[in-house]
Amino acid sequence: MDITNKKILICDDSVLARKQLMDAVKEIADGAIFLEGRNGTEAIELYKKEKPDIVFMDIVMPEKDGNEALSEIKAFDQDAVIIIVSSVGTQDQLKKAIQLGAKDFIQKPFEKNQISEIIELRLGGK
Amino acid sequence: MFTQFLGNYLLQKGIVTRDQLFNAMARLSQSHIKLGTIAIHEGLMTANEVDECLYIQTREDKRFGEIAVARGYLSEENVSDLLSKQTPDYILLGQNLVEDGIISYEDLERIIFDYKADNELYDLELDVENSGIVQSIIEKFFLMAEMPANDLNVMYLELMFNSLIRFIGEDFSPLTPMIVDEYPITFGVSQAVIGDRDYITHIDCDRETAIAFASRYAKEDFSEFNEYVIAALEDFLNLHNGLYIVNVSNQQSKNIELAPPEITEEGVLMGVNKCVDFPVAYPFGIVHLIVSY
Repeated sequence: MDITNKKILICDDSVLARKQLMDAVKEIADGAIFLEGRNGTEAIELYKKEKPDIVFMDIVMPEKDGNEALSEIKAFDQDAVIIIVSSVGTQDQLKKAIQLGAKDFIQKPFEKNQISEIIELRLGGK
Repeated sequence: MFTQFLGNYLLQKGIVTRDQLFNAMARLSQSHIKLGTIAIHEGLMTANEVDECLYIQTREDKRFGEIAVARGYLSEENVSDLLSKQTPDYILLGQNLVEDGIISYEDLERIIFDYKADNELYDLELDVENSGIVQSIIEKFFLMAEMPANDLNVMYLELMFNSLIRFIGEDFSPLTPMIVDEYPITFGVSQAVIGDRDYITHIDCDRETAIAFASRYAKEDFSEFNEYVIAALEDFLNLHNGLYIVNVSNQQSKNIELAPPEITEEGVLMGVNKCVDFPVAYPFGIVHLIVSY
């Protein structure tokens, strides 16, 4: 799939988790521009500066967590496409993420096909 | 999980060394259960009868089943039933130890009997991963450490063993847990679990062990201790704790949160109440799971 110049922001405090997500995208799509954030604060700054096409966001992060970042980004841009990727897949958390405006929720460890489905759905037709 | 429990039992009783156990465990995925082993497990043949058939097999070009039927130990029906049976991995571990010459079939028969007796499993079959049995064995790990085996403690350790099997590999053996006042940190990562009762979870190991552990977790071949190795340990702990709080939330409707994982490179770990170390031995080293309450 060609997603040339589509911007993908991956926000996770784990350098390994960011790499694994990037690798999963690269396996099925070419040309994306990756942006990386290590906490919620960096995610908000990067979002405002770069206006990425899609955001993959962890929840448990230092400084500012994913829920807060999700809420602030949605306040800034209500059309932001934010996918939560977290190990904390409780019903409460799921509800909260959807209420705050997340488009989808992926429980870690993710399967590569979950990422490819989302990329196809959210970026494939554009 | 019974393979890992049996490994712990064999080590505790001094029946095998750690190296012997790991050699046998390492071949689990490539080994196939033999008809003789399963016949003993099903109580259809004695160890002596199996040994006898195996001896004949070295002199006659016949299948084990044919010999056992010819000598009246098994019927044709028994053979086809046994061939279609699914046997648990722990029996395969025993068979590998027999093939390595560490124990005999007779020893294996006795060990399984003693193991069931020690764990009061007389009326229960270990064939199925029966959660009740798994939990009763895990409770014994807490008793060994003189810790209360309450529901949440048992759930946490059961999930930890499952997470290790799922993300790192089944070739480990839990060692005897210990309560300590302080735990001197080698290298590790910590994560606080915040709920009714807060506690700190911690994974500690030496750097070489961390590299091997991380390589398995990330399915990559790390050759040096770097940020990816550290991140892999953090991710494993975070993932495991995440699974735990999902379970607690589903089963007990309790709200528990996780703090971000942190790297701990020096100092001592201590709990207001207690610090319990659950070590597990992998072929590449010992990994300590420490929970401080």
